[in-house]
Amino acid sequence: MIPTPGAFLRVGVILLLAVVLQISGFAQMRILGASANLIPLAVAGVAFFGGSVPGAASGFAAGLLLDLALGHTAGTSSLVLTAVGYGAGRYREVRDPAHGLAPMAFGLAATAGYLLALGGVTFMLGVEASVSLLVLRDVVVTVLLNGLLALPVFWLLGRTLRGALVSDPLARGRRQRTREAGPIGLRGLEV
Amino acid sequence: MQDKNLVRRRRAVFAVLVLASVGLLTAAFGDSGPLSPIQRAAQGILSPIESGATTALKPVRDAFNWVGDTFDAQGDNDDLRAEVDDLREQLATAETSLRDAGQLDALAELHEKSGFPQGTEPVTARVIAQSPTAWFSTIQINVGTDDGVEVDQPVVAGGGLAGKVTEANGGTATVTLITDADSAVSAEIVPDGAGGVLKPQVGNPEDLLLDFLERDDEIDEGATVVTSGSTSTRFESLFPRGVPIGEVSEVDADERELYQRVHVKPYSDLRAMDVVQVLTG
Repeated sequence: MIPTPGAFLRVGVILLLAVVLQISGFAQMRILGASANLIPLAVAGVAFFGGSVPGAASGFAAGLLLDLALGHTAGTSSLVLTAVGYGAGRYREVRDPAHGLAPMAFGLAATAGYLLALGGVTFMLGVEASVSLLVLRDVVVTVLLNGLLALPVFWLLGRTLRGALVSDPLARGRRQRTREAGPIGLRGLEV
Repeated sequence: MQDKNLVRRRRAVFAVLVLASVGLLTAAFGDSGPLSPIQRAAQGILSPIESGATTALKPVRDAFNWVGDTFDAQGDNDDLRAEVDDLREQLATAETSLRDAGQLDALAELHEKSGFPQGTEPVTARVIAQSPTAWFSTIQINVGTDDGVEVDQPVVAGGGLAGKVTEANGGTATVTLITDADSAVSAEIVPDGAGGVLKPQVGNPEDLLLDFLERDDEIDEGATVVTSGSTSTRFESLFPRGVPIGEVSEVDADERELYQRVHVKPYSDLRAMDVVQVLTG
């Protein structure tokens, strides 16, 4: 990702929108007792299109915003989302997935990582109440919902961030159409 | 060489962000850290945005939830539920009064103590933000200190107790719900009066645990659970006596040890609240 003021602005607006939409809308729209979570999707999306450093920075910013907005212990979500953003970005840099369904895999993995790590960090900070096994159902439903949401969310993020990207994994993965057929052996070349 | 620098820079950024997060955690842990004013300021800036988003998204949420309700064949129950909520509240009040009437005069003096909030003034508030994970059960509401809301005041929803105010700014407040991992409410079962501490089960907002009940208390399923007038948690405060919370859903024989523990289903749907009331005054 090219670190221009425009790129910072776009990522900032994306993260703010993700946090506001999540806490004011999606958190109250429940399916099977759980809801989709846009925040890990947005962070994974920025990491997918921008790489590990923008991913980690986005995770930190989104987590801080979430903790401040809801009065949670500041740093909890930042820590987890920084790791999610960095991990997603590193995976993209190392493996460079270009498959059309790669966003779905990123969405699933990022959400599962976020929810499990958040649970772990919360436990380390001390949970005085007993924990129901239904918390696992919440994790599974949220991960599956996010897997479904990942494709449209990543598509939107890709369009929004296109001007600021060094390379778009999805665009690179698509087959280029030949403009016209040339002589045999030169098909696809502009001759 | 350039690659090495790139790798070093990438790792340095990651390490700095992780350290910053851990630093924030350390500073914020314990609820009275130096970050509270920053959090209050941030909430003051974000609350108009959240409020606008909540209003703008309400039709979408309503449509989504309506589809869910219809799918569950529950769409027609709203009016009846409201009526049942009212009746439960009346029943809880009546049963608490009935029990109080049988008490000795000495107990009446206890009820007059300053610790028991009397004549609370409800302030109606709209929920503008809700925590997205099971680990934190908090909501943001659109009333604050300007409306007379203060920290530790109880918050009730349609069916009964919802939680208490844990942070209050000018125009917004944070409410920690009774399903939050940190919550513990002193409660009693009416009309028998068996008392214990009500704690949540993380991840299951429809099942609270009433713990530390005397082993000899006879508990019936379906009995009403109300607040008994005090809380025992890290942040001590007082709930008014007799606010309905839920009903006993299960008495598990296996859990009869030194104390017995029963499961309580809260009357309020704590994950789908649009409007709540803060009991001020």
